[in-house]
Amino acid sequence: MHYQAESYGNYYASTVRQSAAVDPLERVVRLASGSAVVIFSLSTCCMCHAVKRLFCGMGVNPTVYELDLVPRGKEIERALMRVLGGGSSVPVVFVGGKLVGAMDRVMASHINGTLVPLLKEAGALWL
Amino acid sequence: MIDQMHHLQIPQQLEVASASNSPRTGISQPQLARPTSEKRRGAGSNSERMLDAKTLRRLAQNREAAKKSRLRKKAYVQQLESSRIRLSQLEQDLQRARSQGFFMGGGGGAGGNISSGAAIFDMEYARWLEDDHKHMTEIRTALQAHLSDGDLRVILDGYITHYDEIFRLKGVAAKSDVFHLITGMWTTPAERCFLWMGGFRPSELVKMLTAQLDPLTEQQVMGIYNLQRSTEQAEGALSQGLEQLQQSLTDTIASGSVNDSMHHMAVALGKLTNLEGFVRQADNLRQQTLHQLHRVLTVRQAARCFLVIGEYYGRLRALSSLWASRPRETFIGDDILCQATTDLQMVQQSSQNHFSNF
Repeated sequence: MHYQAESYGNYYASTVRQSAAVDPLERVVRLASGSAVVIFSLSTCCMCHAVKRLFCGMGVNPTVYELDLVPRGKEIERALMRVLGGGSSVPVVFVGGKLVGAMDRVMASHINGTLVPLLKEAGALWL
Repeated sequence: MIDQMHHLQIPQQLEVASASNSPRTGISQPQLARPTSEKRRGAGSNSERMLDAKTLRRLAQNREAAKKSRLRKKAYVQQLESSRIRLSQLEQDLQRARSQGFFMGGGGGAGGNISSGAAIFDMEYARWLEDDHKHMTEIRTALQAHLSDGDLRVILDGYITHYDEIFRLKGVAAKSDVFHLITGMWTTPAERCFLWMGGFRPSELVKMLTAQLDPLTEQQVMGIYNLQRSTEQAEGALSQGLEQLQQSLTDTIASGSVNDSMHHMAVALGKLTNLEGFVRQADNLRQQTLHQLHRVLTVRQAARCFLVIGEYYGRLRALSSLWASRPRETFIGDDILCQATTDLQMVQQSSQNHFSNF
């Protein structure tokens, strides 16, 4: 995985600016549908690092939104926490615009063989 | 009020409502007038009511409701009973552990410095191991007796639930004492040698099983291969995440001057709480691996597979015991040599149970 710092920086900054007046959950949905694999993360979160390494190790190039670096990221964090209904907000993974879930669901879907077909369907994996 | 109802001939709808409050036991026909029992039974016991379909249906519904109510009560009572048994078992364990000064799990370092969360888990784990032995005996017997797939499946599902239970217990223990889990103080030395993030390494387990599981269909071979790959990838990712946590922790502890050391300690403490998350994800991975094995294999294959797993870890534990009681060259006096030999014989006898099938 390579962090396209400049290009994706502009990409998400502009996307985020456009949606300034929008409900955070709608922003999540919009951002999530923007790429094949989307990870909501925090730059300081080690579990987020693990999930990023997982996708990179599979040859997938995910789009990562670091919510501590994105404008009004706190709102998105809170919205995600409500969606997950749990203690932590990140990491959260979307594939093909659909919610896969937090780390435990991502791992479970990889082990039970449903993640790879999902990635292929979304065009994120070609093997 | 009952007498009034006799006189007024209340419509059937109202009778349904009150009749359901007084369930009867298995009457199929309306009984002839019996004043005392009718008083308790409420409406609908009019000796002159008609035996129409509606009445019959209502009576049937009442019986159903009564039956369900009895079953619920029975289930609840059974639950209470088993909780009571469990409680007394835990009390016994606690008593035993107290009198022996928490000897289990290789000790908590300098004699008995073990947290209560860790002690409780060690006891629960010891009990789990006993249950494990029983489950394995059950599976072994079932395979030898050539039970039907259906019967075998029930036994196997029970074994999977048993594994789910230890992962649940580990989750609870991780909240109170993650270090106990991650340092492997709850396991034996040989197991600790192979420890990964507080437990066994799933990909190693799958690799070990691949050799033991012949013959497999092509689809199953693919399934097992994919399982090995996905577990390896998941383990790698988690390990890298943990490495980053350790690095971050090191940086925090190493940095800072004397003045703000307390602040850095607080930050470090905050980072340490993430450790629980990694152990939980590792256990999640282990649990998912076992479930996937169950999915990929047939019932008989899965039964044999889980037997192999149980026996493998049994041998690893036996190895630890043998190692701990092996005779050493130095300090040999006759009495010490005798004692060591006796210990070894005792251990050999117990380990023979583990090796008996091979």
